[in-house]
Amino acid sequence: MTYFIQLLISGLVVGSIYALSALGFVLIYKSSRVLNIAHGQIIASGAFIAYALTVYAGVPLIISFFLSMVITFFLSMAVERVFLRRLIGEPIISVIMVTIGLMSIIDGIIYLTPFGSTNMSFPKFFPPEPLNILGATVSWTQVVGVVLTAIIIAALSWFFKNSTLGISMRAVSDDQLASMSIGISVPKVFGLAWALAGLTAAAAGGIIGNITGLNFDTLHAFGIIVFPVVILGGLDSIGGAVVAGVIMGLIQQFAAGYLDGNWGLQGTAEVLPYIILLILLLFKPHGLFGTHEIERV
Amino acid sequence: MATNRWLATGNFFTTYKEEQRIFLTNIDRLCLWLLIAALYAWPFFVETSNKGMLVLDNILIAMVAILGLNLVTGFAGLISIGHAAFVGVGAYTTALIASGLGTDHVFLTHAWPLVIIISGLVGAVFGGIVGLPALRLKHLYLAIATLSFQMIFQWVINFSKLFNQGQTMSVGRVFWLTGKIGRKDHYLFWYFAVLTIVVISGFLVRNLLRTRYGRCLVAVRDNDRAADAMGMHPGFTKVYAFALAGFFAGIAGSLHCYLYRGAGIESFTLHQSISYLAMAIVGGLGTLSGSFFGPAAIRLLDLGVENLSSWATNFLPSTMNIATALRPLTFGLVIVLFLMFEPRGIANWWRIIKSYFKLWPFKY
Repeated sequence: MTYFIQLLISGLVVGSIYALSALGFVLIYKSSRVLNIAHGQIIASGAFIAYALTVYAGVPLIISFFLSMVITFFLSMAVERVFLRRLIGEPIISVIMVTIGLMSIIDGIIYLTPFGSTNMSFPKFFPPEPLNILGATVSWTQVVGVVLTAIIIAALSWFFKNSTLGISMRAVSDDQLASMSIGISVPKVFGLAWALAGLTAAAAGGIIGNITGLNFDTLHAFGIIVFPVVILGGLDSIGGAVVAGVIMGLIQQFAAGYLDGNWGLQGTAEVLPYIILLILLLFKPHGLFGTHEIERV
Repeated sequence: MATNRWLATGNFFTTYKEEQRIFLTNIDRLCLWLLIAALYAWPFFVETSNKGMLVLDNILIAMVAILGLNLVTGFAGLISIGHAAFVGVGAYTTALIASGLGTDHVFLTHAWPLVIIISGLVGAVFGGIVGLPALRLKHLYLAIATLSFQMIFQWVINFSKLFNQGQTMSVGRVFWLTGKIGRKDHYLFWYFAVLTIVVISGFLVRNLLRTRYGRCLVAVRDNDRAADAMGMHPGFTKVYAFALAGFFAGIAGSLHCYLYRGAGIESFTLHQSISYLAMAIVGGLGTLSGSFFGPAAIRLLDLGVENLSSWATNFLPSTMNIATALRPLTFGLVIVLFLMFEPRGIANWWRIIKSYFKLWPFKY
C-alpha cells in the first residue's frame, strides 16, 4: 500500500509538471494554431537561465526562479517576433517546420554552453529531511513544485477569465477575423501567447531542475512528452492540458512501478505515452476536452 | 505536329499527352542520359579514395530516403518527423535477416537485391500503419504521429535483446558476378549499386507523379476538400503516400546497413529525422530535382561543419564538444533561413539557371 501511495504521489508531482509544460504549448496552439515543436528547448533554456543566475551570478534561488521566468518571457517574445511574425499567412506546414528548425538551433546553442554535456544540480534550498504522508516520502522541493504549479495555473486561469488582455486572447483563438474587426491586434496577441508560453515553460524548467537536477536530455524529453499530454487533453483545451498532464504522470509512474522488471520489460515509462498517443490518434484524436473541428467548404 | 523536337522556345502543347511528357525536348533527354552515363563512367578514369566514395555513397543513400520523404512531405503536404525511424525499420529488417540466418548466409550475400526489396516492403507496412490516422486527421496530428513512432522505434531498439539493445548488428559482405566484394572495392561497388537504385527510383517517382495517383497526391495537398468532392479519397491517398515513403526509406535503410556492414541506433535518431527534413526543405519540397540537390547540399555542409569543428578544437578547451553543438545549429539555421527566404529550395535556383541558358541571349 505504501508503494502504491508513493507511486501515486510521485505521479502527481510529475503530472503537475507535465501540466505546466503542456500549458505553454496549448497557449501557443490555441491562439495561433502553431504546433511548437521547440517547446522542450524553451523549458530547458528557462531551467539553465535559472541555474546560471543562482550559481554564477549568486542571486537567491527564489528570485532567480522568477527572474528566469521574466527573461524567458521576453526571449520567447523575441523568437516570435524574429522568426514567426513574418510567417503569418504562410501555409501552416512551413510554420511547423520553422519550429523544428528552431528546436535544432536552440539545441545547438545549448550544446555550445557547458549545460549541454554536464549534469548539474541546484544548490539545496529546502530542508533536506522529507515529509511523510501515509508512509510515503515526499521531498520539500516536490511539495513546493506542486504548490507553485497550482499557483501559476490558477493565476493564468484568472488572467484568461478576468483581464482584458486575457479575454482578447480568447477572442483571437475563437475567431481571428472578428477579433481584428473589434480592434484587437492579432500579431500582438500571438506575441503575448508565445511570451506566456515561455513564462510557464521557464517555471516548469525551474521546477524540474530543482527536483531532478539539470540534465539536457531529461529536459529535452519533457518537451516531447508534451505531445501525448496535449493530445490526451485535447489540443486546444487549457483545462484538458492540466488534467491530461496529471493523468500522464500517474500512468508513467505506475508503469515504471509495476511493469518494469516484469515480463522482461524495461523503461516502459518512456514509451507508454507514445503508444497511448498513437492509439488516441486513431480512435479519439480530439482528446478528452478538445473541440471537434468542423470544416466547411 | 510540326514542332521541332530538339529545340523549343516555349510551350506549344495541343494535347494533354504532350503536356505530360517527361522531357520537353530531345536535348533535355540527351543531357540526362549523358549525365547518368558520366556518373557511371567517372570512377574508371579518376583515382578514387575510400573516404571520398563513402561520402558519395552516403549522399546517394540519402537521395533514396529523400525521394520518399518528398513524396509524403512535398507532394502530399504531411510533415514526417520520423523519417529516420522508417529508414531504421529497413536497416533493422536487413540486420534481423542477418542475425536470423547468420551474417554470411547465401540469401543475404547473393540475393541482396531481394533483401533490399523485402526491407523496403517492411518499411512500407510500417509507413502505412503510422499513416493510418491520416484517414481522419490532418497534417498537425500526423506530424505528432510520426514523432511518436520515432520515439517508440528508439525505445524498441534500445530495450530489446532481439536488436542487440541499439549496439551494432553486423551484416556480411556481398557477392557479385566477380566474386566476393572485398574491403578495397566495397565502397566503389556500393556506389554503382546505390546509383542504379537512385536512377531507377528517380524514374519511378517521376512516372508515379504522372499517373492518376500522382495527380491525386498534389490535389489532396492543395485542397483536400475539393479533391474529395471530385471523387478522390484524401485519406487513402495520404496513407498510400506514407506507405510509399516508408518503402523508399526502407530501401535506403537496407542500403545503409549493407554499406556500413551493420546497423546501430545512432543513425536513426530524432536528430537524423530532422536532418532528413532539412534535406527535403533545402532541396525544395515538392520537386523531384530537389530530392537530389538537398541530400548533396546537406551532406556537404555536414562535412564542412565537421572539418570546421575539428579545426576549432585546436584552440578551444577539450571539454567543449563543438561538433555536437555546431551540427544541430547549422541544420536549424539552414531550415529556418531556407523557409524564410527561399521556400522553394535549391531546385528553384536550378530552375532559374536552366531558364537563363534556355532563353539566352534574351533576359526573360
